[in-house]
Amino acid sequence: MADSNPCQLRERDDIVLRVEHLSVNFAMGKKTVQAVTDVSFDVARGETLGLVGESGCGKSTVGRAIMQLPPPTSGGVWFRGQDMTSLAGEPLRQTRTGLQMIFQDPISSLNPRRRVRDIIAEGLTIWARDNARERVDEVMEAVGLDAASVGDRRPHQFSGGQCQRICIARSLALDPDVLICDEPVSALDVSVQAQILNLLEDMKARYHLTMVFVAHNLAVVKNISDRVAVMYLGKLCEIGNTEAIYAQPAHPYTRALLASIPDTDPLARDDASIDDAPLLQGDLPSPADPPSGCRFRTRCPYAQARCAEEVPMMQPVADDHYVACHFPLR
Amino acid sequence: MIDAGSHGEVLLRVNGLTVRLHSGNGLVHAVEDVSFSLARGQTLGVVGESGSGKSVMARSLMGLLPKRALAGGSGEILFQTAGGAQRDLASLPEKQLRLLRGPALAMVFQDPMTALNPVLRLSVQLTEPLRLHLGLDRQQARSRAIELLASVGIPDAAGRIDQFPHQLSGGMRQRVVIAIALACSPSLLIADEPTTALDVTVQKQILDLLARLQRELHMAMILITHDLGVVASRADHIAVMYAGRVVEYAPANTLFTSMKHPYTEALFNSIPRINDPSHTRLQAIPGRPPQLIDPAPGCAFAPRCQYAQPRCREQTPPVVTVADAPDHQHACFFPVSTIPGGRPHGR
Repeated sequence: MADSNPCQLRERDDIVLRVEHLSVNFAMGKKTVQAVTDVSFDVARGETLGLVGESGCGKSTVGRAIMQLPPPTSGGVWFRGQDMTSLAGEPLRQTRTGLQMIFQDPISSLNPRRRVRDIIAEGLTIWARDNARERVDEVMEAVGLDAASVGDRRPHQFSGGQCQRICIARSLALDPDVLICDEPVSALDVSVQAQILNLLEDMKARYHLTMVFVAHNLAVVKNISDRVAVMYLGKLCEIGNTEAIYAQPAHPYTRALLASIPDTDPLARDDASIDDAPLLQGDLPSPADPPSGCRFRTRCPYAQARCAEEVPMMQPVADDHYVACHFPLR
Repeated sequence: MIDAGSHGEVLLRVNGLTVRLHSGNGLVHAVEDVSFSLARGQTLGVVGESGSGKSVMARSLMGLLPKRALAGGSGEILFQTAGGAQRDLASLPEKQLRLLRGPALAMVFQDPMTALNPVLRLSVQLTEPLRLHLGLDRQQARSRAIELLASVGIPDAAGRIDQFPHQLSGGMRQRVVIAIALACSPSLLIADEPTTALDVTVQKQILDLLARLQRELHMAMILITHDLGVVASRADHIAVMYAGRVVEYAPANTLFTSMKHPYTEALFNSIPRINDPSHTRLQAIPGRPPQLIDPAPGCAFAPRCQYAQPRCREQTPPVVTVADAPDHQHACFFPVSTIPGGRPHGR
């Protein structure tokens, strides 16, 4: 593991959240699954970082490890000048109010027996905040729910999209700095997805939020993110400015991922360089027994001997564009 | 009437298919007056959101809806069998329908884990249709099954065939499901969200596999999906479903360049696109898809439609053919390009 600071971490005063050398291991029988290995990134104030990858790549685990749900095996999560991994008990609870999370399945993240107003007020009640009622009315109005008419209803009376609005209102009630969204639109109907994505953009502007947006849909991530981090089998492959990564992916995995997206427009396939990318073969290896060296090498069309021996380190390829590959694409 | 027209011999012609289902809350109008036809070797993409009736439509073509859920239905499903005879699948007795499932019609489901029997080895599941429909003996069926596994791109097919489904990844399982569906070389394959449960890199592998096998077997395919992108470059014709009805039907290229139904347009515009810059404001469709219990009169999309007029809430728009495009139908009183100030489509 590298001791020096990874090069993708930025020297800036407005960094709100910094994740350093984050690793999360899970016990699976006698084996250890390395769900996340040595992941480092930072998010500046007002920025949205998109975290993409296929299922099992560890992107959700990173989101949860930031919240200390559960705390990571090693590494640091710096927020408000403190390393959250060193906190426990009351200080951790206090700090965590500044980070809020919304989840993939909005219906199962709401207690079906409670009223919407009480669900949204839960955090305010726990922290005995003043003016809780006004605050609940305000966030409900902000997410487009009429507090007077729907506040006393229960979650089953709402559609999936409405439930996600309730979840967003709940996450905003305590006025957090950082919102972690774990696949917030993948369980929603296509026609409702856009409503929630627009709402998240509006809430980000209105409440000055910084966001970590975990998703597998690359078009959704591109729409909402300022920067993107691509993960594969627990490792960060590529991170940087969204436009740069989508226009010129430097990691073979990112390129394959982009080439796999079916285009909505049959006439739009104008991006010849991406179309020519070789198709990925095979499936994801087991994270309990990851390949040596570069974890992508077993499926990489450009893999060479060095890829099996040496773990690639992050290196800059352009301004705010970093890649962990021995032979980055150019 | 939606017709495959001059695209070759018509394999399947569906006329006025209507399906009603029982539910705890009342009668569900799942499929309403759906008509289309499909020629041999062609692909029809069916696009719709959850609850649009696309899966119920697919299952009723196969006769797979549970009998006690069915609360009535009407319409014809005319299918050209291998012998040259035309059968109405909607009225065919279950016994005869069973003889067609496998050699004539086959289906691939969304979730490859639940589509396979977890306690039976792949060999048992693969050889069953071969022995039943093709009359192969145990040895012949086994060697044919290994060929089938190899043809869907499973490495070491001879070793894999004695494994159980849980020993395979999701993508591998879907390949096995496809191998079973294609075991008896059906003339029509219905693929109901075949890649929705899979990752995007595996999705492309599976869609490419289906396209290759379709070409090799000269098989017609109905590809059902909620993702316009999946069918855009893979279907010959696309049917857009909303609230149980086909609201627009057109050749794939025509649909994307001159869509007529406001729902098609709204769906297309609400999807984030990979070529658009970050933070492009999405044109969300207000509201939510309607409940199919006791539907209100008029066009089902009217409450969410930005072009809706009073007439849309009173009368159900009939399916009409576009004047200069006999292959293009829609069900809207005020198709989008005729609206003053309507935006041009395409890029």
